[in-house]
Amino acid sequence: MTSMATNISPMAGARRGLNVGHILLTALSIICALLWFFPLYWALVTSFRHDDETVKNFGLLPENPTLDGYLYVIQHSSLPIWYLNSTIVAVSVTIIAVFMAACAGYAISQLHFPGRRLLWWIILASFMVPAQALIVNHFIIIAGVKLLNTHAGTILPMLITPVTVIVYKQFFDSLPREFREAAVMDGANPFQLLFRVYLPMNWGVTTALAIITFIGAWNAFLWPFLAAQTERMMTVTVGITAVQDAFGVFYGRLMAGAVLAGLPVALAYIIFQKRVTQAITLSAGIKG
Amino acid sequence: MAHVELKDVSKRYGPVEVISHLSLSVEEGSFTALLGPSGCGKSTLLRMIAGLEEITDGRCFIAGTDVTDMPPAKRGAAMVFQNYALYPHLTVRQNIAFSLSLAHASKQVQDEKVGAVSRMLQLDQLLDRRPAQLSGGQRQRVAIGRALVRDPKVFLFDEPLSNLDAALRSQMRIELARLHQQVKTTMIYVTHDQVEAMTLADKIVVLDKGVISQQGTPLELYNRPANKFVASFIGSPAMNFFAATASGQAGNTVSVALPGGRTAEVTSRGGKLPANGTVDVGVRPEHLRLGAAGAAGSAFDGKINIVEQLGNSTLAYVDTPAGLLITEGEGNLQINPGDAVSITVDSSHAHLFGPDEQVI
Repeated sequence: MTSMATNISPMAGARRGLNVGHILLTALSIICALLWFFPLYWALVTSFRHDDETVKNFGLLPENPTLDGYLYVIQHSSLPIWYLNSTIVAVSVTIIAVFMAACAGYAISQLHFPGRRLLWWIILASFMVPAQALIVNHFIIIAGVKLLNTHAGTILPMLITPVTVIVYKQFFDSLPREFREAAVMDGANPFQLLFRVYLPMNWGVTTALAIITFIGAWNAFLWPFLAAQTERMMTVTVGITAVQDAFGVFYGRLMAGAVLAGLPVALAYIIFQKRVTQAITLSAGIKG
Repeated sequence: MAHVELKDVSKRYGPVEVISHLSLSVEEGSFTALLGPSGCGKSTLLRMIAGLEEITDGRCFIAGTDVTDMPPAKRGAAMVFQNYALYPHLTVRQNIAFSLSLAHASKQVQDEKVGAVSRMLQLDQLLDRRPAQLSGGQRQRVAIGRALVRDPKVFLFDEPLSNLDAALRSQMRIELARLHQQVKTTMIYVTHDQVEAMTLADKIVVLDKGVISQQGTPLELYNRPANKFVASFIGSPAMNFFAATASGQAGNTVSVALPGGRTAEVTSRGGKLPANGTVDVGVRPEHLRLGAAGAAGSAFDGKINIVEQLGNSTLAYVDTPAGLLITEGEGNLQINPGDAVSITVDSSHAHLFGPDEQVI
């Protein structure tokens, strides 16, 4: 009996230790989550306050909730046009970039042609150069072909997505070669192989990459800021800075603009949460 | 008539030659098994016929047409892969009809052909399922159906049963044999499992290190192996080998001095004995007979080491002056480890191999 008691007691102690550690970790996680969430919450709450209340009332909820900020932004800015521009840019970038990346990833992974290895190294190298470092070159080139202040001019430099190519290449590399061989024996050409066998085999990869590309394109600021030179060509992220300049310090309107700008992305995150996580996981090893 | 013919084909990966100047004729409507250990080049050979591997040297003909430089889909060959390679996003129906759909066959033609194949393979109840919802045997049948629907001139099977459990493998063997009887199309079947090759094929080609070691009917290979490699590879349990010295020859009857001092007479196949008389004798377990220790005419005395009762037969592992020999006797043989026994060799079924491992 004594020995049994001796055996049990350290286990019970370990369980208690585990519980305390678990509680502490949970508490820490909650605190971190609150710290992360509070600015978002505050922006949302402020967007529903009157401006005079913003500097007087520091309560968690607005005293007299109002939609004035939203109405003002919608009525006195080009927000609907910015939304449209953002949608055109983000959707175009998503479709074209993912399509090109799938083709490039497939070619590098599955086809044998001279220079394949060199091309792969160039893609890897391009991934190491930050987009900001190329922004002047992009500006000069796009200005040179007279595409500044057009959708095409905004979209073209944003199509450079080496990470997407790398993820696709890794995905195609991971597929057993028998699928390819079976399709070849069935008479499939490379395009049929890609679009009828490889991509449909796991739409999850494409969906995940499309969502993360869409979010990246929607949130992009620096290049659209340079490329769009009139208010009518601005995207939401660029336009929102115009709201700040035009409205002065009106917290309600500013925050309403910010909330409206971030809303599609937030919705995309919420709806496609799993896919976004998958995309981040897929590219995590690469971004290392 | 040769339906598939390889003429002096070689395959090299850089400096490594995996197939060396190999020529092979496969008769129309035959079931030919390419048999050999891992790495002998049998799958490479099959893939060369399929067009999935380039032929470094030599030519490949299917139904009289030189297909050496033809793309796989144009060769008239259909392949069943080891892991089935069923497209996971397509239903059974779509998997089977995939090649027809690529060829832009009408919906009616697709339905007719898929219907016929699925009835033949008893897949008609499973047409709307996806591969993940099928058992191993069902997947295998779908893979066969996908090949069958193309109405090929030759079927190529690359170890198609190796992913199945023993019971299912046995069942699928019967189904494949039945399928061959039904469609009578030329089939080339790669396997490392000699039981599969022996039971399915009407011709076995044994490959060793990229060259044909021997080809013939299953019984030819079993009863008259051309060399030690084939003799040891075909048959389970494997053939017993022991060193002996040829002491005299009268016609095809060779007297050999056995380890332990006794002699035996072995029928040779007319080959030349080596000058020093050193040979290897090969005898299958069922051609060694157990008897009482010191029995007249026996080749060895020995002691039983292990007994395996298999029901229909009894395997005895016997320590003898020639080493450990396996004998196969009746199922109800009453013997125990430690028993002193003698072993008699059935000399008409013994084989002599020279120093070059070729049969004498």
